[in-house]
Order: sequence, then structure tokens, then C-alpha cells
Amino acid sequence: MSPCLVIEGRLTRPRFTLDLALDVNLGHSVGVMGATGAGKTTLLRVIAGLEPHFAGRIQFGEETWSQAGQTDLVPTHRRGLGVVFQDSRLLPGRTVQENFDFAIKRAHRRASAVANDSIITGLHLEHLLAARVEGLSGGERQRVAVARALFTRPQLLLMDEPLSANDMAQRRQMTERLSEWVAADGVPLIYVSHAHDELLQLTSQVLILDHGRVTGQGEIDALRDAVGSAEQLSADYSMSNRATESRRVVRSRPVVLAKDPERGIATLQWRESEKSLLQSISSGDTLAVEAVADSSRLGASLQPEPDEYEGQAD
Amino acid sequence: MADMQAVWLTGLLAGMTTLLLAPLATPLAWWLARSPSSLRPIIEAVVALPLVLPPTVLGFYLLVLLNPGSPMGAFWVSITGASLTFSFSGLVFASLVYSLPFMVQPLHTAFRAVPAATLEAAATLGASSRDQLLNVALPLSRRGFLTGAILTFAHTVGEFGVVLMMGGNIPGETRVLSIAIYEHVETLNYDAAHVLALGLLCFSFISLWVVYGVAGQRVEVLRG
Repeated sequence: MSPCLVIEGRLTRPRFTLDLALDVNLGHSVGVMGATGAGKTTLLRVIAGLEPHFAGRIQFGEETWSQAGQTDLVPTHRRGLGVVFQDSRLLPGRTVQENFDFAIKRAHRRASAVANDSIITGLHLEHLLAARVEGLSGGERQRVAVARALFTRPQLLLMDEPLSANDMAQRRQMTERLSEWVAADGVPLIYVSHAHDELLQLTSQVLILDHGRVTGQGEIDALRDAVGSAEQLSADYSMSNRATESRRVVRSRPVVLAKDPERGIATLQWRESEKSLLQSISSGDTLAVEAVADSSRLGASLQPEPDEYEGQAD
Repeated sequence: MADMQAVWLTGLLAGMTTLLLAPLATPLAWWLARSPSSLRPIIEAVVALPLVLPPTVLGFYLLVLLNPGSPMGAFWVSITGASLTFSFSGLVFASLVYSLPFMVQPLHTAFRAVPAATLEAAATLGASSRDQLLNVALPLSRRGFLTGAILTFAHTVGEFGVVLMMGGNIPGETRVLSIAIYEHVETLNYDAAHVLALGLLCFSFISLWVVYGVAGQRVEVLRG
């Protein structure tokens, strides 16, 4: 029988409140969506037991991890988790292999349907094992973090934008592999991403967070229908936060309503929940837009680089 | 010959103090670096007291606390058959108290420099709090240990007031270098005092030189 994850409670910070009443069947992997600041990362931190001020109950299957007044009933290290943080968080001063050894030595269980070697090969890490983590690129660091999380042989995988620093081809390949490994090992996955194609491939349920509350929950197909066609989903964007002096710093997920490759114009639409962000963008602003999902359908003239283009707001 | 005995005794006292303080100060420094407890500032103040208290005050209270007529002193006599006051064991005990901040503070600083994000990652990989200390924080705090060990050793070598109050001047038992210099000056034997004082001056300078060298490297590592 698939474990259920029940979370009821609240985390209050000076300018943010996460208010949760969740009951998720983890027989199917879960995608978490929401605008920046909606609480996606905080939700994963709450599940991992990294938010000591969360007041409420967390139940995973038969295990009560947290309840009112006892936030660390089961502390983080005993929850049997595999966590990939957005910023990778490799153990500094060590090699890639030493990071793996740290996880393997403390693995939640020994048996696994997926061999460690196949994970290393599948993530193209075999040539990096002796490298110190400080010398790795952002994409390599993320792939090491994904492998390390899998090596803990977790009973629950939590991943927060785990592939965002890899290029599109690598992401597509990693997503496929990850999908195979998770299915083979039968490990429930909670996956945070702005990239709908990753969510569509890896998860079968979706949670939508907005301002610290769950505003939607259901099958991933329902999400596809609700948001629009598959083409619109794959043309969903994040504004880059890699700003330079000449570029605006905004992060968002506008939907591409129309595109004109010949004139190099795209019409973007922001969701209601992101209207405040839209107000900060003025006509004529130079914006850097980075595609986090498959942007191949946008047309070549809009893409000076495979997943990024730059232009002026009209 | 008597001076060589004082050099040996000083080295032995400083070495034992350093070796004993390292394992005692490590959990204390870890707790001070990570605990959200409201008691933390009080404990920090108590640990730092030897930095500001006149050594004679500390020596006086240790004498009151550890003399054979006191409960603690009597307990020590009952298990070892010897007194803590005016003995080498008493000097070691006093040095542990007197040099505590010199070991705790570099470790505290080193532990605070270990990113909380790294410890969180270790926890998600299955490391308990103790495991995080031993296998994540300690390897990242090697330079803090080196700094603490050098400062503790050097500070113990330079002890005078506490040693005089607790140990007096018993050759081969409590007569350490600083006491020997004092005695040479009292007996107007300035040549012998010069030799020992110059030796201590050079030792202290080299110790601090090494510490600042270590600290400099550490900053570079953090920047890297």
C-alpha cells in the first residue's frame, strides 16, 4: 500500500506564512508548482524537518515525524530522505567520491533495484569521481547532488529544481533516467520545478502553491487541460535572475500566447498571481528571458542561444 | 639544572593542558556555536571570565575551591591520596580553567564558519548532530583547532598568577618557568632571568606568528 503524506500546520515568518492542510498519496510522484516565493522550497524544508518553527503535524505512512509541540519527533537524519537542494549543497573540501561515500555509509537501506555504478554512468559522473567539488560547474554539482540523494536509498525523494543548471539536452536525458530509476526503485518523489516538461515526465500528481497555500491539487493531466495545450506548456518561461547592469532582475513564469519568429516578437502573459511583478516591468525595459522548459517550438529566430533570449518589453 | 627542570615542567604542564582541553572544549564550543538556548550568553561570559579576571582572583577562588578542607578538595584526596593544592595535578586543573577561553574561542569561531546549509545537507544524508560535528564540522575546522592548540599551549607557558596562588614554588613539582624568572629577579640573578625571559619572549613571538599565519591562510580558504 502506498504511503500517504499528511501535513497540517503552519510556519510563520515575518513576511511569509506557509499554511498547509495536505493529504497526498505517494503511490504516484508529486510535482510542486507555484510562482517564486509561493513556498515550494519551504514546503520541502518542512517535510525534511529543517524548519524548527513549523507548528503542526507531519505523518508519513505509519510514522509521525512531527506533531504539535514536538517538531523533531523524528529528526531529519532518521526520516530516510534523499534531498536535492536548489543550490546542490555538496560537502566542501571533499571529492565527488567522498561525497558519495558519505551518503552510502549512512544509507537508509541497503537493497536497491538500481546499482550505484549505473547512476554514476547515467549522470555522466564517472570522470569526476576524483575531482574536488569546489572545481565543478553548476550543472555538474547538481548531477552529483542528484546521485548522492539516490545513494541514500531513501524512502522519500525531495528534489528542488535539481536540473536547472544543466543545458536542455542534458535535462531531457537526466529526466528520462531519473524517471526510470524512481520507477524501478519504487521511491515516491516530490519534485519542485518550473519546467513543465520535467513535471509531466516525472510526476503524475501536481500541487499548486500560491502565497504559502495549496491552491490546487490533482492529476497532472488535469493541470495540462487547465493551463492550456501541451504546446503552451512547453513554451512556459522563467525570467532569468542572472541579471547584468543592462538587464532587469525579474523571475517569473509567463505563458507564451503568440509568437512571430519572422519579426522576433513573442507575446507573454503573466498569471493573476504574478501581476504585482508585471507592474514592475515598464515598456522599453530590456529583459533577459530564460526558457526552463522545452523551447524548441518557439522558432529559431527567437533563440540566439538554445534556451535563452533577450528583448525589450513592449 | 633547576632551570632545565622548570623548562621541562612548563612544557609538560602546557602539553597536558592542551591535550586535555581539546576534547573538553570541542563539545562546549559546538554547543555555543549552534545552540539557540537563552543560556548561551551566560555560558559564553563564564567561559571568557579568565580573559578579564586578574589571575590572582582566579587563583584565590581555585585555592578556596580545591583545598583539602573543601568538599571538592576532600573528594580528590579521598580518591588519589594527594592534595590538589600545591601539586602538579592542581596546576593542570587550574590551567584547564585559566586557558579554557583560548581553546574555546578559536573553535567557536571555526564552528560558526561552517555553513548551516552544509550541516543541513549532512542531516538529510543521515548524519546525526554528533555525526555532523565529528565528520563534517571537525574536518572543516582543522585550522581553528591548530590556532586553539597553539594559543592554549603558549598561554599556559606564560601563566604566573594562577600558578603562584595554586602551586607556590616547589622545585620539580610546581616551579614552572614564570616562577623561576620571578625567583631569579628576587635573588638579583638577572643573568639567569634574562636567559629564561628571552627564551619565553622568542617562544611567544613565534607562537603568535604561526597563529597569524594560520589565520591568514584560513581567510583565503574561506574566500576560495
